[in-house]
Amino acid sequence: MSSVFSTLTESLIRHRGVLGAMVVGLDDGLIVESTLQIGVNGNAFAALTASLYRKARRSAAAAGFGATGFLELTAEQGRVCTAGGQELVLVVVCESRVNVGMLRVELLRAAEQLP
Amino acid sequence: MASDDIRALSEALAADPASLAFVPLGEALRRRGDLEVALRVALRGAERHGTRPDAHDLVARIAVDLGDLERAIVEWETVLRIDPAHAGARKGLGFICFQLGRLEEAASHLSVALSLSPGDGSLAAALQTVRDELAVREESSGRSTMQFSREAMAADPGGAAVRQRQTADPPARPTLGLAAVREQPDADAGALFDDLLEGQRSAAMLLDGDGLVLAGRYVSADGRDLAALIGAQLSGVSDEATRAMRHLGLGGWRQIVFETEAASVAMAPSRDGVLLVAAARPIPLGFVRRVLERALARAVEWLGGAA
Amino acid sequence: MRFSVVASWVETPLKQFVDDARVEIAVLMHPNGQVLGQYGFARSVDVMTACALASAIHASSSELGRQLEGQPFSTLHYMGRDRQIFLGSIAAPSGALLLLAVFDRESSLGLVQLFLEEFRARVAVSAPPPVLDGPPVMQENFERDLNRNLAQLFGRA
Repeated sequence: MSSVFSTLTESLIRHRGVLGAMVVGLDDGLIVESTLQIGVNGNAFAALTASLYRKARRSAAAAGFGATGFLELTAEQGRVCTAGGQELVLVVVCESRVNVGMLRVELLRAAEQLP
Repeated sequence: MASDDIRALSEALAADPASLAFVPLGEALRRRGDLEVALRVALRGAERHGTRPDAHDLVARIAVDLGDLERAIVEWETVLRIDPAHAGARKGLGFICFQLGRLEEAASHLSVALSLSPGDGSLAAALQTVRDELAVREESSGRSTMQFSREAMAADPGGAAVRQRQTADPPARPTLGLAAVREQPDADAGALFDDLLEGQRSAAMLLDGDGLVLAGRYVSADGRDLAALIGAQLSGVSDEATRAMRHLGLGGWRQIVFETEAASVAMAPSRDGVLLVAAARPIPLGFVRRVLERALARAVEWLGGAA
Repeated sequence: MRFSVVASWVETPLKQFVDDARVEIAVLMHPNGQVLGQYGFARSVDVMTACALASAIHASSSELGRQLEGQPFSTLHYMGRDRQIFLGSIAAPSGALLLLAVFDRESSLGLVQLFLEEFRARVAVSAPPPVLDGPPVMQENFERDLNRNLAQLFGRA
């Protein structure tokens, strides 16, 4: 049975280079919905990325920059992109070669549907 | 102050509610931005230690951060009743009076504060600004209003904390913040990234592992350098990324980019610290990333080796 | 006040858990409430109270789990306004242990659960094997052992 959010994660994982897409609780860092390739540790990405996003939001707000939208973390062996609402965030795990520009647009569009 | 220290202080206070741990605890919470909690801690402390000037001074500074200027005035006046030579209270009242346009009172408080702390350059600059303002008021029939920067006050209580927003057409003159910046001896470090940036709409700064500014600056539209404040707030994001990297199996982190309502922010690790670039939102994200890369190369060179 | 442990093998995994999960308080204990190590409490009386309450909560929730699902619940989470409490059981070579964690918005349930898994793995490696011919836990020894543990933790042994 597909949930309200499964269409979001399924459309995101179709992008080339995307290894996993999740809807995650912003405050608790728990997965609400996920579409993951085998071998991706969804729980770890969900908890740690939600925490990073929370920190960025709080810091940016405290610095007077206002609300945070899109966040991208680039690492030596991949990327994690996030965008979210007040309660839920979308977390996308990708390879380095992913087209970030396209993914960012999709992610921001999808995030508009999150509470 | 780290969360550990806040925790330790809060436990010390819980273990002994009569202790003076509420002063550093309230201050640490204020700096962290937990203003409501900080206020509760400070009010409880001030209630218990009503004759201590530092207790009321703490309440006043938190009240300023909360925008509750009336309470701040009451508390600082209480401080002066207990200790008329309290420079911090004079300074605070001076700034509030300045914000409220009560320039004569502001000048009076700042003069006393300066006589108590003659070596405080920011006070001298503040007093000069107030006197300039008084002179302008006498000369001009245009009305002016001032706006107080809570953010700057939080970063530097009683320091470079005032900005002016003129509704009339004012003559150009330095703000308090700019005057303070000009007194800094290491001006070259502040200008390290200036030629890489898109004028006033972007900023770059190099922070050390404690979130302190090593080089670069963040000059606001009214001329104040907010690098210390912005750096302190945003450097924690890199700590979070470092922890995530230990557990995600993606190797080390190279870059974080995030977009906010007002700015695009990009950061990259540099030695033990972090390099941070912020640009006003109309500036494209790709440009911000490019500036980050170029600034990183500059930082490596400036630090004298590998980043 | 910081880390204090009764058994030396507890220190490394507990420290790692606290650093990773950024919890305010962490206490590792036997299900009967005897403490093995703790982080975050300054007074022994607080540790004693927390252990007693955690032990009782664990006993109740285990029984509830048995009634509802035929097996005890392995974790319990309570979310307060500012702080959250997490109680998780850990299978050690010498028997089950309990980890009590208290955290605020610097952490999250997801992080605590994530690092609990790593903590479990570290405990499985570090904890000593069961003592086969050790004395049984008797009521008359229990309180003495409990007090001895607390005294050790707070440097009064």
